[in-house]
Parts: sequence; C-alpha cells; structure tokens
Amino acid sequence: MADIFELRDIEVWDGNMAASHALRQAQVDVVAAYPITPSTPIVENYASFMANGYIDGEFVMAESEHGAMSCCIGASAAGGRVATATSSQGFALMLETLYSASGMRLPIVLNVVNRAIGAPLNVNGDHSDMYMGRDSGWIQIDCYNPQDVYDMNLVAFRVCEDHGIRLPAMVHQDGFMTSHTAQRVKTLSDDVAYDFIGEFKPMNDMLDLDHPVTHGVQTEEDWHFEHKARQHHALMSAVLPKIQEAFDGLKALTGRQYNLVESYTMDDAEIAIVCMGTSVETAQEVSNELRAQGIKAGVVGIRVFRPFPLEQIADALKGCKAIATLDRSSPNGTVGALYNELAGALFNTSTHAVLTNYIYGLGGRDLTKSSIHTIYRDLQANAQAGSPTTPLQQFIGLRGPKLSFF
Amino acid sequence: MLQNGWDTFEIGTILRPFEGSISDASAILPEDRLYSQSNSFSVSVADWRIEKPLFNKDLCIDCQFCWIYCPDMSIISRDKKMVAVDYDHCKGCGICVQVCPTTPKALLMFPEQKDEEEALLEWPKKEKKEKEN
Amino acid sequence: MFQAKTKNLKNFSTSAERFEGANLLCPGCAHSIIVREVLNATNDHLILGASTGCLEVCTAVYPHTSWDASWIHIGFENGSSAVAGAEAMYKVLKNKGRLKQPDRTPKFVAFGGDGATYDIGFQWISGCFERGHDMMYVCLDNEVYANTGGQRSSSTPIGASASTTPSGRISYGEKQNKKDMMAIMAAHGAPYVAQVAPNQWRDMVAKIQKGFATEGPVFINAMSACTTEWKFSPEDTIAISDLATDSLVFPLYEIIDGTKLNITYRPKNVIPVRDYLGAQGRFKHLFTKQYEYLINEWQARVDAKWELLQRREEACL
Repeated sequence: MADIFELRDIEVWDGNMAASHALRQAQVDVVAAYPITPSTPIVENYASFMANGYIDGEFVMAESEHGAMSCCIGASAAGGRVATATSSQGFALMLETLYSASGMRLPIVLNVVNRAIGAPLNVNGDHSDMYMGRDSGWIQIDCYNPQDVYDMNLVAFRVCEDHGIRLPAMVHQDGFMTSHTAQRVKTLSDDVAYDFIGEFKPMNDMLDLDHPVTHGVQTEEDWHFEHKARQHHALMSAVLPKIQEAFDGLKALTGRQYNLVESYTMDDAEIAIVCMGTSVETAQEVSNELRAQGIKAGVVGIRVFRPFPLEQIADALKGCKAIATLDRSSPNGTVGALYNELAGALFNTSTHAVLTNYIYGLGGRDLTKSSIHTIYRDLQANAQAGSPTTPLQQFIGLRGPKLSFF
Repeated sequence: MLQNGWDTFEIGTILRPFEGSISDASAILPEDRLYSQSNSFSVSVADWRIEKPLFNKDLCIDCQFCWIYCPDMSIISRDKKMVAVDYDHCKGCGICVQVCPTTPKALLMFPEQKDEEEALLEWPKKEKKEKEN
Repeated sequence: MFQAKTKNLKNFSTSAERFEGANLLCPGCAHSIIVREVLNATNDHLILGASTGCLEVCTAVYPHTSWDASWIHIGFENGSSAVAGAEAMYKVLKNKGRLKQPDRTPKFVAFGGDGATYDIGFQWISGCFERGHDMMYVCLDNEVYANTGGQRSSSTPIGASASTTPSGRISYGEKQNKKDMMAIMAAHGAPYVAQVAPNQWRDMVAKIQKGFATEGPVFINAMSACTTEWKFSPEDTIAISDLATDSLVFPLYEIIDGTKLNITYRPKNVIPVRDYLGAQGRFKHLFTKQYEYLINEWQARVDAKWELLQRREEACL
C-alpha cells in the first residue's frame, strides 16, 4: 500500500510537479513513458515518488514515445487506470497510436507539455504539438498555469473514464512557461483528490478472463464509417456536459471555477483576443490596462480545444465588433487554426465582427504585453472601420520586414 | 448485422467470441460452447473449396497427424480418435491428405460435389488385403 | 529449468481449440498451424496480441473474430508493447487485489510476422525484452511481407524473388542475407529463445511449454512456410517445412539465458539445400547456369551455420 504524501494546502509547484502529483493522487495503475523535454520532470518526479513508496502502480520506462503509448493502450485495454506524458517530437512519434487509443475507446490521460516541432529543432513552448493532435479523437483540455494543470488532470480522469465517454484525454500546458515556472498551487489531500476522480471502473477489460474480448479489429468500407461516426458522436455529445459536471464538482469542492470557455471582461466587450495557454493571462493583464482607459476590451481563453465548444465560444463573443485570434503554431499554408475555428463558430450568427489572425511566439518567443497592446490597437481600428484595416494574418514579435498575408 | 447503424453496436469496435460468460474455454468443447455470431466459428468457408477431403474410417490408425497439421481446426477428433471432417471450416488445402501416413491413405481429396458413399466404394484397397483375397 | 516431455500426443494438450476456423488465412497457411500448436501447448488462460500482418487481418476483420481468448492489435510495429502493457496491468491489478479471477494466472503471448519482428517492430520487441516483461513473443517467419503482396523483409533470404526484389534479366532477386534474429534476441539475455517449425511439432510443443514455464521474456522464431509467396501447392506446407528442417536451412535449436545453446533436432538424413530451393517457385530462377553458384554458396552458408551451432553447443557442455 502506497504511503500518503502529506501536502501543504498551498504548495509551490511548477506545472510538471503539479501533473506528477495529480497522477500520484489518481493512483494510476500503469504509467508507461519516455522522457522528452520539457515534459521529462513529470515522469522523473513520478519515478521519485515510486522510489520513495508513494506509488503502487507499474512504471514502464519504454524505449520510445511510440512504445510508451503502445504499452499504455495494451494496459488500458487490459483494464485499469493509465496515464503518461510527452512533448513535441515525442508527441509526433506517438501520433499513430493516439488515433488507435481513441478509436479503441481507451481512457488514457496524456499530459502534453507543449513544445515546438522541428525542423529546426527547438525545445521551447509553442502549440505545434497540440495542433497536431487536434484530429486524433482525443479530448484536449488546455491549462494556463500550474494550478490549472493540477485541477485539469483530476478532471481529465473523471471525464474520460466515464462509461458514457471512454475517450482518451490530453491535458496541455505550455512548455517551460508553465511546466518550469513555480507558482502557488492549492492542493487537495490524497483522499479527497482520489475521491473526486473516483475508482476506475473496468469496461471491455481483457483481464476479465470469463469474458474474452477482441480489441483492435479491422473495419473496411462496410463498417469503418459507422464506427468513426459513433466515436465522433461520443466526443460531440457526451464530453462537454461531463466536463461541465466535473467543473461544477470541483467548484463545490474547492471554490475554483472553470468554464468550457474562459471569458474575461467579455460582457460588454467590443474588442476581444482569443487565445490559449499562458497567453491568456498575459492578454487579461493588458485588457485590464485598457479597461482602466475606458476601452471595452476582453479576452476569451479556450479551455477545451477538443471537442471544440463552438456554441459557447460564439456566445462568449456575441456583440463583439473586432476579434483577434492568436495562433502559436506555424499555420504552414493557410490561416491559423484558431482563426478557422472562430470563423466557423461565428459564421451564421448575428455577430458580424471583423476577424483577424496573429501568428506569435513560435519556438518559445515571448509574447510581450507591448505586442498585445498593438493587437488591441489594430482591433480598435477594425471595430471603428467595420472592416479589416490590416491584413487578415500578421506575424507578431518577428524580426525583419513585416510579414502578413491575405 | 450489416444493416446495423452507427448507434447500435458496442464502442471501440470490440468483438466478443462467446455469448455471456465462459469460465475456461480450454476445458469446453465446441459443441458445448455458446459461440457468438461474431465468432468466425459461426461462419462457413465451405465455398472456398474446389476439392474436399473425405475420410475412410476403416483405414485410419488415429495417428492424429491430420488433426495436428490442419490449419483450419477442421479435423474433429475426440479422445485421440479421428471422428470427422468439419466441412464448414475446411478450406480444402489438402494438408491432411498429404500427412496421412497409411497406405492407402485414410483421407483423400475428391471433387467438392462427390458423393461420400460413392467415394468410399472407389477408395483404393489395401494391397495386402487384395493378396489375401 | 522446467523439462518438457512431449513424446506423444498424450502430452500435447487435450484442451479445446482457442483459435477458430473460417478465418481468412489462405488454404494451407502455416501461420494457423503454428498458432494452434502454441495455444494447444497449454491449458492456461491466455492474453494474446498480434501485430498487423496476415494473422491479424485474417482473424479479426469486423464483425468476426477467430480468437477465443482476449486479444489485442494496435499497429504493425507494436504488438509486443501492447501485450507488455497488458502484462504490466496484470501485475498491478494482482498486487492491488483487483483481478476479477485472482486464482488464475494467464500467459501473455504476442504474435508478429517477420516484417513486424525483424523490421518495423524490432525496437519495440527489443524494449520489451530489455525490460523483462513476462511474455512470449512468437515470430511467424515466412520471410516476406506476405500480407501486402510479397515485398522483401530483412528476413528474406538471398536469391529469393520478392515483389520489391524481383528476379529479372539482370537480377537474381534478394541480395542480402537473412538477419540472425535468434542471435540478436539471445544477446538481450532473454531466458529462453528458440527456433521452431510446425512440422516438428513435438519439438515445437516442448519448446512452447518450456517457454510458458519460463519467467521473463521468451522469443520463439517459428518458420512459417507460405504457400502464396514461396510459391508451392497448399497441400505441401508440411512437406516444404520438412525440407527446410532436414536440409538445415532452418535448424531447430534453443538458447537459454543468452548463452547455453542446444540443438534440438538432428535430421537422420540431411537433404541438400538444392532440394529445398527447388521445391519453391521463389527460387526457380536460381536453377540456371548463370546462378548455379548461388545454390552452392547457399549450401556452404548452411553448412557453416550448422558447424557454428554445433561448436556453440559443444562450448556449453
């Protein structure tokens, strides 16, 4: 029996440590992982907990991220709680198996410490890996700070293991900016955290020897479409209500309020920035400064990236006159993914805001408050003109001649 | 089953070989199992065959080679005695005939439509017996 | 170490089949014979897995499964890791007292073709063996990517005509020698590594039983004569296998703890390699004046390997 880890009510943890403790408190049965910067400390911390008697589960140090997720899939199909962590190139190597995990309806929790994908090789935070996973059929929850990472891990287990859902979930945090930045984290005791998640309830478990089950069959054109549709249906219809239910439960337990879409001073906002990760808090600070000047600025943070809360986002932006979507991933040949998502969400609605797109922060380049001020100034001009006063897509924080498209 | 819509089957594309629970498949013979419709046992591949193996009980020495080497679990053997060929699952490969060690063989390939009684009448006779006759 | 005795059928399992017919494998496929011999070697409960390949695509195509025990497939390269993950979960649930049938101890077996073993899945298998999962990995070695139409793998032997190394006016086909997977797996220090062939079923069943009695990772390389890609008649699968083992092209031996080597089958009459090659369409082009020397080289290689195995065996005595 694992020892109880006595935590203070408030710990100073970076995002990785917050994730490690959440995995420990979830009493994960099998963690199969492979180290990669910047997610490495998650599994290092976990290994240290194990070496000191705080973990009862198995810890499989795989030979690659692909092997790690493959072990996770086998372990999950066998019938128990499974989690791991990765970043960037490792995430890319894992990608094939991510589709397997979701298609096989296996509730694995994957901590993704977001990092750029080479070439050129880069170890710092951007959202390239998160975007790469967006069609993989996983739930994707985004964190802005270490507290979020702790709480969203607990939420992820509770949501994805539900028998009405049975879909794997990624918990995203920004590489280094969240993963390696120590902040205050309010904790739950081991018992309370575990009770919030609940016991793992097996389903279609291979180790139930009285009920043999075949996992991972082939389906061709007469079946594949129906199975994919069923998976999409679960993701679209069951997940957001279950996440909301988990958020409500967490609020009752801790007082901390999370939302599918994190609206900040949006009630009467005329201009808004939509973004993810650590940028949300930076944008909130700038919007406070603008509000002090009487400018009706707001921020919408995406909390749940998949399934995409299309209606909730459209609702949050209702009445806005100009909106900027900020994408921290090179779009390589089109507008940023968030721009597309927002355009889709707002089309066919009564909100006829001017929508523009900013590419920023690739490879860990800082998003400065000054850049955000510039964006808000563009938005004010767009709102006033009622049409774009800038190109639709601009690179911000980039050296050299101004780069923009459309 | 092919008519099923997307909302009617189990999640994760899983399949179950048996209906309900089975305590130990290794201890339960096929005739006593509750196979599900998803088990390939419930399907026939008889139409793969052009030729079929026929079995002559009189010549069989129960060496079980045909049982060991049959790739399709189609030699029905009980208590080390060859009983019959399972024509639902036999694909007509002919391995059983090749490995049959008796002379003449206790298993021979015949055209799929061949009548069994007729085949047994045409079966090559044991040389020794013929001499005795 | 457990001593398996399988002198006659009485020692072969009397258990009912756990692999079902009306799968989609070709008539005469050796894969199926091997799988049956593996599963029938034990009465224990089984947790099975397979890599993408002939066995997988022919036994688990929706809406049918041919597996009477729990079975998993993920992809081409990771059948070993899938089973290793299940084995890790078994250990945890056992320790935590959460097994639904705590009185039973299942065996864990992963199947993969030579493509999945020698090539694309090599790293995953190496990882599983280095970590010491308590599982058996069975390579169904038909020396070619049979499922996708006969492309060469690193198990394809020199001179074989494969679809990506076809014989032609200026080529005799595959140019590289077959990878020595047995030596590689033994070098992992695995407690038990063995080469088997389905025609020598007593030898095979004894080795499988020995493998099941061994704690830790067990590697079995099973020769699987492929009627489709080796180009012989389906009824000749066992006859071709006999030629392979009796010509010593496919010697049967085991390596214990990475060091102790035992030859487990010595043919009474060793057959010329020429006879083995001549029985298969994939080597037909070698039987010309131009390529006669390749057959002689084949024979020399087989002789040298047999000599080496015997010396290795003597060295352990």
